[in-house]
Amino acid sequence: MKGEASPAVELIKVSKSFDAVQAVRELSLTIRQGELLTLLGPSGCGKTTLLNMLAGFEVPSAGSIVIGGRDVTAVPPYRRNTGMVFQNYALFPHMNVFDNVAFGLRMRKMAKFEMARAVGHALEMVKLEGLASRRIRQLSGGQQQRVALARAIVIEPKVLLLDEPLSALDRNLRGAMQVELRELHERTGLTTLFVTHDQEEALGLSDRIVVMSRGEIQQVATPLELYRLPANGFVASFIGEINRLPPARCRTEGNDVVFEIAGGIVLRARKRNQPTIGAGQETHLFVRPEHLTLVEGDRPAPNRVSCRVTAHLYQGAYTLTRVDAGPLGNLQLRVLGGEVIAAAPIGSQIKISIDLDKAVILAG
Amino acid sequence: MIASARWRAAPARPRPFFLWLFLPSLAAALLFVAALCEVAQYAFRVFTPGSLEAGGFTLENFARLARPIYLSVLADTLLISLATALFTLLLSYPVAYAMVRAKSDFVRSLIMLLAVTPLFTGEIVRTYAWILVLGSNGFVNSVLKAAGLVNAPLTMLYTRFGVIVALVQFSMPVMIIILAAALAHVDRNCERAAANLGAGPAKVFRHVTLPLTLPGIVSGTVVIFAWTMSAFSTPQLVGGGKVLMISNLVYLQGLSSFNFPFAAVLSLLALAVAIGALGSMRPFVSRLERKAAVN
Ligand SMILES: Nc1ncnc2c1ncn2[C@@H]1O[C@H](COP(=O)(O)OP(=O)(O)OP(=O)(O)O)[C@@H](O)[C@H]1O
Ligand SMILES: [Mg+2]
Repeated sequence: MKGEASPAVELIKVSKSFDAVQAVRELSLTIRQGELLTLLGPSGCGKTTLLNMLAGFEVPSAGSIVIGGRDVTAVPPYRRNTGMVFQNYALFPHMNVFDNVAFGLRMRKMAKFEMARAVGHALEMVKLEGLASRRIRQLSGGQQQRVALARAIVIEPKVLLLDEPLSALDRNLRGAMQVELRELHERTGLTTLFVTHDQEEALGLSDRIVVMSRGEIQQVATPLELYRLPANGFVASFIGEINRLPPARCRTEGNDVVFEIAGGIVLRARKRNQPTIGAGQETHLFVRPEHLTLVEGDRPAPNRVSCRVTAHLYQGAYTLTRVDAGPLGNLQLRVLGGEVIAAAPIGSQIKISIDLDKAVILAG
Repeated sequence: MIASARWRAAPARPRPFFLWLFLPSLAAALLFVAALCEVAQYAFRVFTPGSLEAGGFTLENFARLARPIYLSVLADTLLISLATALFTLLLSYPVAYAMVRAKSDFVRSLIMLLAVTPLFTGEIVRTYAWILVLGSNGFVNSVLKAAGLVNAPLTMLYTRFGVIVALVQFSMPVMIIILAAALAHVDRNCERAAANLGAGPAKVFRHVTLPLTLPGIVSGTVVIFAWTMSAFSTPQLVGGGKVLMISNLVYLQGLSSFNFPFAAVLSLLALAVAIGALGSMRPFVSRLERKAAVN
């Protein structure tokens, strides 16, 4: 492996348009050596297009792509040494498992003996030992997925490209495969670009996440940063559940920041080190459902707001409770357990506390 | 294994419309079998020269097949059919490929139109067109002469070569449609996967596209082979009596010599060869597929 300093992949102001559609706009991105980077975004935001450009199936309309220090913008797919796993797996139906995995090695003219060992090793990595002579049609979806992975990792690509590899699997299998993918990444150390539109998958799996929307990067951050400090409204509402409060005007008062919201509501937060919130500025507040809590009786609590319960959505470990908070609009609370359903029946008046210290505050 | 339940055959379900949908083809098949029986019974009867009536039971007609003159017609027919099928395949594959893979809809439609239009001109019209093109003063010879490539006109009309050329053109639309269907079924991502794994365009074709279209290639070739086996007007007109295929011999025997019994034997022979070719297709395809898979 090369020095840690040199990035595995660099995209420099890459654009791609199809006729009228601009699928990717002036996108720049660096993938570090050995990291698992996830490309997350809604359907049609250009994830597959970006992956296709990295693999060489699409030529960028502008910009350049550097893989392993070499500018590959004009290099055809078969000389790029990337390993792609397709959404539909795209296994060769006329070959058995062994020949599928061995294909890339055959193209590299590897000696028979060495090849058998490499294929065996790859199949072991994806836990498919013993299925080498199976036909593709005789495999389950999860097994096909593993063959596709083995086929891509056996050539030791400069970057592993995974296009929503888990989306065709059922929920349980998907969870198990996520764990396995992470383990596989740890063992192989391959630089990996993982595409998904499932945010839970992205949060659970990635070293860093790139959030995309309409062909542009919205934010690049670790899962933790992304959830706690989304860079803008799109990221805030795309990652996890979040309540968006009406626009507020803010000012400082001692150690507090005070937010005045239309309808005479005043909310307070401790002053924080965020240069974007200045006095008198219009701000947008985003609060996660877990930062809204029920207040029993007249117990004092910060930012108490009275509201009416409109719905309960029981989720097992917790309940999502919807309330109508008057000028603050409809809000969602996340309450542990299911007792809240009986304690605060639909239609009843309750008091909630809004913890703004953990809220996302964005300048308007 | 998890998978086994999925690929085991599904239990038989009642098919409510099956019988009704099946009836018309059943009626057609019965009619065809009746006609075939009528032909077949002639094959076992004595030919009386000068009479349209066939006589009593005999196997003499089949023995007659062994005569060198008839064997050579059979050999010619097989050769012409095989050559036609192979050349049709070689010429049609690139056309079908270009059609299916054309980037613009306009180009695709244009190729489709050019490829299929010949189907709508009659066989006789097209055959006459070939006579004009291939004749001593025809288009090809005029061009060759004007270009100074030949002194005397080439003989193409009334030769096997001419017959094969006309038959190939006649067969191409059908072959193109069969191959296009096969090509359209190839998952583009499979080709991309191969390229991604290091296969250049030629290798992608050799290791992925070609094996995956193999069933289409074999069925197209067999269909054209069987179809050409029964060609009549093209060898009749372009061959001008100098190139005899089985159908032409049947015509001669049945309608010139009025030897219905021997004509019947020849017809049955042609049918048997065609059915044999179609029947051997399935096992042949699966064997080829298995072979292609290993490399
Ligand atoms: N070959 C093409 N021709 C024309 N437009 C295309 C082509 N490929 C993609 N697009 C357009 O580019 C945009 C981005 O497509 P892309 O497939 O990259 O989205 P995606 O993020 O992968 O979406 P999904 O999550 O649904 O797979 C879409 O608007 C799509 O319609
Ligand atoms: Mg996609």
